[in-house]
Amino acid sequence: MKALVTAARVALISLVLVIFLFPVYWTVTMAFKPADEWTPTSGKIYWLPDQPTLDNFRRIFGGTPGGSASFLVSTPINATDSIVNSLITATFGSLLALVVGTFTAYGISRYRAGGNMLGFSVLQLRMFPPIAVIIPVLFLWTYLHLFDTRLGLILIYGAVTFPFVVWLMKSFFDEVPREISEAAIVDGCTQFGAFWKSVLPLVKGGLATTALFVFILNWSDFLIALVLAGNKIVTAPVFLSQINSAATGQEFGSRAALGVILITPPLLLSILIQKHLVRGLTFGAIKR
Amino acid sequence: MAQIRIQNVTKTFGKFDAVQDLDLEIEDGTFVALLGPSGCGKSTTMNMLSGLLEPTRGEILFDGEVVNTLKPGDRNIGFVFQNYAIFTHMSAFDNIAFGLKVRKRPKEEIEQEVRQVAQLLGIEEMLDRRTTELSVNDLQKVAIGRSMITKPGIFLLDEPFSNLDAGFRSYMRAELKKLQRELEQTMIYVTHDQVEAMSMAERIAIMDRGRLQQYGTPDEVYNQPANRFVAGFVGSTMMNFLPTTLDHTGDDLVLTMPVEGARPVTVHPRSAEDGDDAFTMGIRPEHIELVDPGSAAAWLRGTVTLIEALGPRNIVHLTSDRYVLRVVVAPTVRPRIGEAVGLELDSRRVHVFSDASGKALV
Amino acid sequence: MGIATDTTTPADGVPAVTVLPEGHHHRHISRMLILPGVVLLLLLVLFPVVMEVYISLTTWTPTSGSQWYLAYRDWTWFSNYWDGLTSPSFLHALLRTVVITIAATGIEFLLGFGLALLFLEKFLGRQVLTVLFLVPMMIVPAVSGFVFYLLLQTNGPVNYILTALLPGTVELQWLTNPSLAPISVTLVDIWQWTPLMFLILLAGLMAVPEDQIQAADILGASWYQKLRHVVMPIVKPIILIALIIRGMEAFKIFDAAWLLTQGGPGEVSSTISVKLYREAFQNSQWSYVAALAIVVMIIVSVAASQAIKPLEQRQGGAS
Repeated sequence: MKALVTAARVALISLVLVIFLFPVYWTVTMAFKPADEWTPTSGKIYWLPDQPTLDNFRRIFGGTPGGSASFLVSTPINATDSIVNSLITATFGSLLALVVGTFTAYGISRYRAGGNMLGFSVLQLRMFPPIAVIIPVLFLWTYLHLFDTRLGLILIYGAVTFPFVVWLMKSFFDEVPREISEAAIVDGCTQFGAFWKSVLPLVKGGLATTALFVFILNWSDFLIALVLAGNKIVTAPVFLSQINSAATGQEFGSRAALGVILITPPLLLSILIQKHLVRGLTFGAIKR
Repeated sequence: MAQIRIQNVTKTFGKFDAVQDLDLEIEDGTFVALLGPSGCGKSTTMNMLSGLLEPTRGEILFDGEVVNTLKPGDRNIGFVFQNYAIFTHMSAFDNIAFGLKVRKRPKEEIEQEVRQVAQLLGIEEMLDRRTTELSVNDLQKVAIGRSMITKPGIFLLDEPFSNLDAGFRSYMRAELKKLQRELEQTMIYVTHDQVEAMSMAERIAIMDRGRLQQYGTPDEVYNQPANRFVAGFVGSTMMNFLPTTLDHTGDDLVLTMPVEGARPVTVHPRSAEDGDDAFTMGIRPEHIELVDPGSAAAWLRGTVTLIEALGPRNIVHLTSDRYVLRVVVAPTVRPRIGEAVGLELDSRRVHVFSDASGKALV
Repeated sequence: MGIATDTTTPADGVPAVTVLPEGHHHRHISRMLILPGVVLLLLLVLFPVVMEVYISLTTWTPTSGSQWYLAYRDWTWFSNYWDGLTSPSFLHALLRTVVITIAATGIEFLLGFGLALLFLEKFLGRQVLTVLFLVPMMIVPAVSGFVFYLLLQTNGPVNYILTALLPGTVELQWLTNPSLAPISVTLVDIWQWTPLMFLILLAGLMAVPEDQIQAADILGASWYQKLRHVVMPIVKPIILIALIIRGMEAFKIFDAAWLLTQGGPGEVSSTISVKLYREAFQNSQWSYVAALAIVVMIIVSVAASQAIKPLEQRQGGAS
């Protein structure tokens, strides 16, 4: 009987794994497929590249191989730049949200700063359809000369993920008993010292998890970068969506190649923090 | 009501033997204390009895039937945890009722049984309260009630009173003892507190580092410790130990201690030496008397270093040569610090242990 | 670790949150701490909302040539709101988005919960598998968008596999059939975000105190009884949080819908975000969009504040 249950478990988990990873597998194989294998126009589906090639990678990083048709992207930058842009804006935007958000969360948790309203209004930020927020910000940004700049994106990314940080970190701070900071203060620390040395280390797991979420959110962003930038400053997702060519229309292979590269930072980050991941997430909702 | 037989049970975690070759027979309806320091294997043994862990080797039998592979829920046992393990999101009533609810008993029956149990434990007024509103003491009662309700044959309690205040603890001990006698249950009570074990149990199983050290009545364990560990562990004030050498005169042994001015003591051995050559003698502080240092009956002389006044008795600490000894005296006896005293012991109360095996010879 | 040894014993209305007394010094610090956050909020919430409201009451568009703050010249009171609330396209989009949100969040929850239950007990490779299960979350939607576009082609791999598994030929028009298009969008969202629910629920399930489970075991509870009476009450708050978080995000679906079908065919798979985007950037109807956005904001705020109520009660009023 036990064996049957285990077999069922293995079967289920394998099924889910296959479903989850199939599109990933497709992306990876697509990255190595030559142009004629991209779409099943000829009726044949290529499960694995028949003639694997590195052309796609070469194309997006500049230089057209072997004289194929011209390669257009609607933006005058190249893939490497877009990746760099994504890295910079996502990383610093996340850092901004993390820093400001953590302090705010601490204020709300420890000192009841802002009363009850602050927490909810912070949450409200996250509720609005992005368009609603983007249009006015577009004007503001243009006025401040932040339109189409990295700094502009960083600020927006920070602002947009700030609510997440506040809400998550607040619940993690709520779980830390007040005695801990009090003990530190008795030992001679300042308020800030107590926070930095005794409370913060305890929420490391929560901080790591929050950082991962926030980074993934910013890294994946499409709409904001599309509207608030897009000429000089293009992030990878936007760049990717515009990789076309006269010959083949949407350059799926090149897009896949870039897509494969784009998986790396989130994957790396989650591997780094994986041992904190599952432990961190109860949002203070479970009372022991 | 059930007889328990633990037969050569071993439990290994990786390379570590938590319980080694445990062999124990517990008769129906007895109150047994499982006593030992932290890490001695008592909790592991409890978990094997309850079915939460399976023995690596050996068998456990309830009333003659092997239960090794039986699920905890099928073993008809009650378990009280050290930290209560109360269901936090239920009322006290629902907590106690859980065992019956799980067995799908009709509502009226459940209602009746729960009220009965609550009455027995004195918590009827608390039944409707949420567990977060109850005091620690009441919570423990709820935990006990919860484990009782299915009328199990065996009760396992894992240090159930260690989180309670001292006064309440002794009250609960008495109540538990009463309960056990009324219900005629087989009860196994885990503790590291030897006073608890001595006061409550009919039989005590002492364990250390996974091995059973001795299994006997409180009297046996106190007066005839099987080895040095038991001798040192049992007894409110620890036994005094001194190294000694053995000489034979006829059937008796003569003990000579390498302490300056010590007189040899003659004792009658219980078991043979097995070729060991280093020995330790032990005598409880309760079995020594303070006498005049010049007295002929004094076996040892020493200087007082400290006096603990405990109310019903005093404990005098003294040094003799380079050894520290303790003597329990009447509350009126108060020597001064630095005073020279003599010790007279009751030679019938002397124990001798082999240094190599720890086994008691006397 | 007694249960009644919390720092504050929750009676009615007393918050279970550890709060320091409001000394003068503390007030100073608390203000400093939240200052940057408040600035951020003012700049990026208050200003946009005020501006939105302003514009929504006019008929200004960027193509009309004048600056936005001069929009009062085209004042029109609530005509935009009226147009929006009577526009079948908008109302359909709203309804559609609600349906997709509920379906996606619900299915993600059920799947995530089931998976979390499977992962509760240790087994070989669990840690590795957990990271692998998170991979869909880490694929940039811009990528998963076009990948699913390819996969869901009528002559694409998905139909191929389905044909192999099911009797007959499967030639579902995932992206072009008006009934299937919204489903495709939902499916992509489910694929992308079930891992998140899985992660949160797994953490919640693992945090259930083990001794309560053991006690239930000894009392003879079956697997189902344990789940229902011991585990669920404890993880309910986590479930609520997970549902709210995911629900909020699902409501705003844009990337998947846009990249798969551009909201089409027609407007059949337009979520609210897609609709607003189209009106803004394809039709340049910015004041109309502003009005619609305000309406959506109001609806979402009301819904969310209702949803959070049970959570707040549990935490005694601390938000």
